[in-house]
Amino acid sequence: MRCYNCGCRLSEHDFCTGCGADVSIYKKIMKLSNRFYNEGLEKAAVRDLSGAINSLRQSLKFNKNNVEARNLLGLVYFEMGEVVAALSEWVISKNLRPKKNIADDYIEMVQSNPTRLETINSTIKKYNQALVYCNQDAKDLAIIQLKKVLSLNPKFVRAHQLLALLYIDAEDWPRAERELKRCEQIDIGNTTTKRYLKEVEIMLHPEEAEGVKSIKKKKKKDNEEVFRYQSGNETIIQPLDVKEPKGVSLSALVYILIGLAIGVAMALSLVLPARIQNAKADVNIQLKTVSEQLTVKSATIEELEQKKLSLEKENMELKDKLESYVGTDGTLQIMDDILSAANTYLTNPEDVESVAMYLEKIQSETVLESTSETFQSVYNTLLTAIGPGVAAKYYDDGLDAYQKEMYEDAISNLEKARIYDGQNIDVLYNLANAYYKNGDLENAGVYYQMVVDGFSGTERARKSERYLREIESTQ
Amino acid sequence: MINFEEEIKKFHPSLEVEDAEEAIYNQDLTDMADLMVKIVKEAKEAEEHGSQV
Repeated sequence: MRCYNCGCRLSEHDFCTGCGADVSIYKKIMKLSNRFYNEGLEKAAVRDLSGAINSLRQSLKFNKNNVEARNLLGLVYFEMGEVVAALSEWVISKNLRPKKNIADDYIEMVQSNPTRLETINSTIKKYNQALVYCNQDAKDLAIIQLKKVLSLNPKFVRAHQLLALLYIDAEDWPRAERELKRCEQIDIGNTTTKRYLKEVEIMLHPEEAEGVKSIKKKKKKDNEEVFRYQSGNETIIQPLDVKEPKGVSLSALVYILIGLAIGVAMALSLVLPARIQNAKADVNIQLKTVSEQLTVKSATIEELEQKKLSLEKENMELKDKLESYVGTDGTLQIMDDILSAANTYLTNPEDVESVAMYLEKIQSETVLESTSETFQSVYNTLLTAIGPGVAAKYYDDGLDAYQKEMYEDAISNLEKARIYDGQNIDVLYNLANAYYKNGDLENAGVYYQMVVDGFSGTERARKSERYLREIESTQ
Repeated sequence: MINFEEEIKKFHPSLEVEDAEEAIYNQDLTDMADLMVKIVKEAKEAEEHGSQV
């Protein structure tokens, strides 16, 4: 230490042995400067760089010529990524002590590599640009710039802090925490870092932040209640009073039941109505289909019932008809009649009346054209065989009744005579007269016309014409 | 709660390499020793001035 007045080396006395100046205060100032330097050195050694900067600045406030303090301050600045500030301190240091100064090496280290210096300058410019972006509210661009800065200069504490602040503003708490942890690795004593980190931890772990004090107290208590022992390089800590839970607790069971109840309620209120609706729609569709099928089937049944009734009726008619044809022994009545007629004729050819009775019965009960050819042949043979005799008999009976003015009987007998001898003019003429007398002018006209057509030129034909004119004039 | 607008005001632009020289020249290097010397000098001058009077 030298005298501020004459530059003499000072002794242990409080005055300068060279000029006699009072150096007691000066010595105290120098000692204070050295003390702050020592403090700064200690803080720098434990990476409390912010604290070291404060102490070293204090040291230089007391003694600007404290080159060690200035060089260390530059080194701390450099470690925090503040390269220009570091260079400034080293340059001043170099000016204060041009020779035997370690600042020379530091300056040489930075300046010897122009690329590195350029990179440093680039990171500073990018940081400043990021700051401008922040003020312009272009935070995304600021984040991009700061990421570039930190890729080139990973120890730039202010850039880490600014990036963390941007993440905090974006509420990206994990990234903010990561950046702040990196800040802490570089500078453990930075109050800004600690403040931001506290905020981030509150956001990330709110329950821990509230319970920090109680946890600390509990830790102390726990330390007393644990059993520790060393196993190789590891320390094993076993708690003494911890009881493991046995089975499921009642509260957990209650929570499970509540959860199940809520689940069931949700299912009932949300899922079931939709399912019921779907089921109803399906049932309606099925009902509609079944109704349609039922309608079709009902119509078919009704149609079949109608058909059945019709068939039953037809069946009854046919049965009746068949019964009329069938005799007591089960054979057809007309067959029986024709056989009876044939039998009577063969056994007694004179009994034409009986044969005629059978033939008339057949003629009245059936249509001869619908019978078989054989039947018709037999019928016609019998009719030819007995015809003239029967016709004469009926004609005589009819004429007798006519003369007795019994026109009904006359018509009946003459009609029968006409069956057996249809081309007999007497039969036709008298039949027409019987109808005429009986008042049936229509039938009378028919038979008069037959006489006129079949026997023209005869007396009876002329008479028939006259009667026909009378009938026409009457009508 | 951290206020971004307030916090951002605490961040200042970093000095670029080109500005280092100016920053060095403008740095106030006055220390306590300088102040003490000045005070002592002024005190001496005042004393001398008083004795002359």
